[in-house]
Amino acid sequence: MKTPLLSRRHMLAGFVLASSTSLLGLWSGTAKAALAYAQPTRLQTLTALMRDAFPHDALSPAFYESIAKTYMRELEKSSQALAELDRGFALLDGSLIAPFAELPMPVRRSLIARYDQEPFFKAVLWRGSELIYRNPDVWKVLGYGGSSIEDGGYLERGFDDIAWLPVK
Amino acid sequence: MTTFSLDDSSVFVVIGSGASGGTLANELAQRGHKVVCLEAGRRLDFSDIVNDEAVMFEKMTWLDRRIATGKPDPNFPVWNCKTVGGTTMHWTAACPRLEPHEMRALSTYGPMADTTLVDWPISYEEIEPWYDAAEKRMGVTGRQDMPFLPPGNNFKVLEAGGRLCGYKEIDTHNMAINSKDYDDRPSCHQLGFCTSGCAIGAKWSTLYTEIPRAEATGRFELRTEAMVTHITLGNNGRVESVSYWQNGRTHVQKVRAVSVAGNVVETTRLLLNNTSTRFPDGLANTSGLVGRNYMRHFTVQVMGVMPGEVHFYKQTHLAGVIRDERYHKPERGFVGGFLMNTVPFTPEILAKNMLIGGWGRDLTKILDNYKRLAGMLLIGEDPPQLSNRITLHPTERDGYGLPVPVIHYEDHPNTIAMKTYAWSRGRKIYEALGAEQVIEMGDYIPATHNMGTARMGTNAKESVCDIYGRTHDVDNLYISDGSLFPTSGCPNPTLTIVALTLRQAEHIDHRLKAGKL
Repeated sequence: MKTPLLSRRHMLAGFVLASSTSLLGLWSGTAKAALAYAQPTRLQTLTALMRDAFPHDALSPAFYESIAKTYMRELEKSSQALAELDRGFALLDGSLIAPFAELPMPVRRSLIARYDQEPFFKAVLWRGSELIYRNPDVWKVLGYGGSSIEDGGYLERGFDDIAWLPVK
Repeated sequence: MTTFSLDDSSVFVVIGSGASGGTLANELAQRGHKVVCLEAGRRLDFSDIVNDEAVMFEKMTWLDRRIATGKPDPNFPVWNCKTVGGTTMHWTAACPRLEPHEMRALSTYGPMADTTLVDWPISYEEIEPWYDAAEKRMGVTGRQDMPFLPPGNNFKVLEAGGRLCGYKEIDTHNMAINSKDYDDRPSCHQLGFCTSGCAIGAKWSTLYTEIPRAEATGRFELRTEAMVTHITLGNNGRVESVSYWQNGRTHVQKVRAVSVAGNVVETTRLLLNNTSTRFPDGLANTSGLVGRNYMRHFTVQVMGVMPGEVHFYKQTHLAGVIRDERYHKPERGFVGGFLMNTVPFTPEILAKNMLIGGWGRDLTKILDNYKRLAGMLLIGEDPPQLSNRITLHPTERDGYGLPVPVIHYEDHPNTIAMKTYAWSRGRKIYEALGAEQVIEMGDYIPATHNMGTARMGTNAKESVCDIYGRTHDVDNLYISDGSLFPTSGCPNPTLTIVALTLRQAEHIDHRLKAGKL
């Protein structure tokens, strides 16, 4: 089996031959730069993955990074979980010319689709949905009111205020 | 506080403190009998109940290992509780009755391949006064003297769409949630956290109704974090004692009689795990039916992205129902029927349920419309099948050292046909109001309605218990939970469980007073 790096080099050869396609041309500079300099960290890859799995325009890049950081800290407690994550990242990074985190979104998306039944990604989805949708800041964005006991419930706060339904 | 000695063989032991256990224990104590209730979970009080689904899940849920084969989630097939009050902490409090025709399933539907459809051994007329008593006790809305709950937004959407589709039987449902102050409990304040324990006690739960009332009699003792492991018979074939694990060691309580009320899975495990020379296949299992005919209802959902805001999380979860599809109309292509209820989801649960269908924009474009979502829960009759069953894993053990229960469940073709039809009807309701998108969601919720694994009947070869829930095999051993249901009908089972329990309590009371038990 190829190592991720070899795989990328192999793909790079293919890329040069195919560089006339406009889509690839758009990101070739970034990709080459990435190869020339440092590999993206796990955190960068995980941040990209979280954003692709749960893309909300109203949430900032910093938010996705904070979610990824929290998940990373949890994974670091288990060498087994970390190994599974690295295995998954190797699949994502090893498939194309550039590391996953530096690919444009449509390409990342199709890459994830190829590996979305892998355990590492299912774990990202499950824990990611908790870390994102349990967050009161996200509730504000989505319009979920959360805990209501301290305000006496929703009885006086709109539980029956719907006004757009057809008149009976 | 009343305590009883482990050597006191005059006590009636109830295993479990939920809808059936809590009610039976209180009713027997009220009638003058000494009762010990053994509950595997901890006792919470109102200060423990917060409006946080994730926190309450950890506090209330039965998290000891269970395994599923077939259709359910392999690691979390059943969602019930391990706490005082049992699953009356988590339940939605929807209280429909069984219809008379549902209690005559075999006569009404006719024989159906690969099922063990039967008629109930008791008639609707026989259970009717017990339904009345249960509804009064629990304060069920739209019944007796309790008004309906006020209509919330999610209900108004269901009702408006339902009427456009020609449905007629629509209201805010029969709910064991106070619509006015009643029974020393306040009226519902629309907190929107029904399934995470009601923080104000508007929802009926045995934790703050039956249990404290039983304690007030001075004839009742609740032992918490007491996990029953054995039911031991004497030479006379009667239950002599119950063993339980508490505080790191085994205790043995002498008994006069016992009732098991462990919400089906634990009831089955306890019986199957108690083998003896007389009962090599498990206690009270000469019929071979303990654990078989496991039923759970299908519970599927439909969500609509509506033209305007709904905020479906703000109202009492299930306070909204359309009943028109619950009847037996075989021209629809299946037997039995289903109820259409309102239901909300928090963003987290919605995301998790939808992860099965996708991620990325497919998922988040729906969550971005969270304010405009309306939701419904479709609950349909589940025919009994011998092959749907609970067994014990041969080698896997849980933290108590007990065999892990294995739950095998597959949909019957009738269920698949009904579910498919139900989705299409639900979709039409939201489309009638101009929904931008309608999402049909599958059976992702782990089973909360558990039934059938120790069915009642008159023939000891074809049932586990008699018509009062007494096991055919052991004279002083009763079952009180949903295990008794010979068929499921489509209603949420708790009201029927409580009605049967009140009827059982009267029967036990008479036997105790007559010196026959």
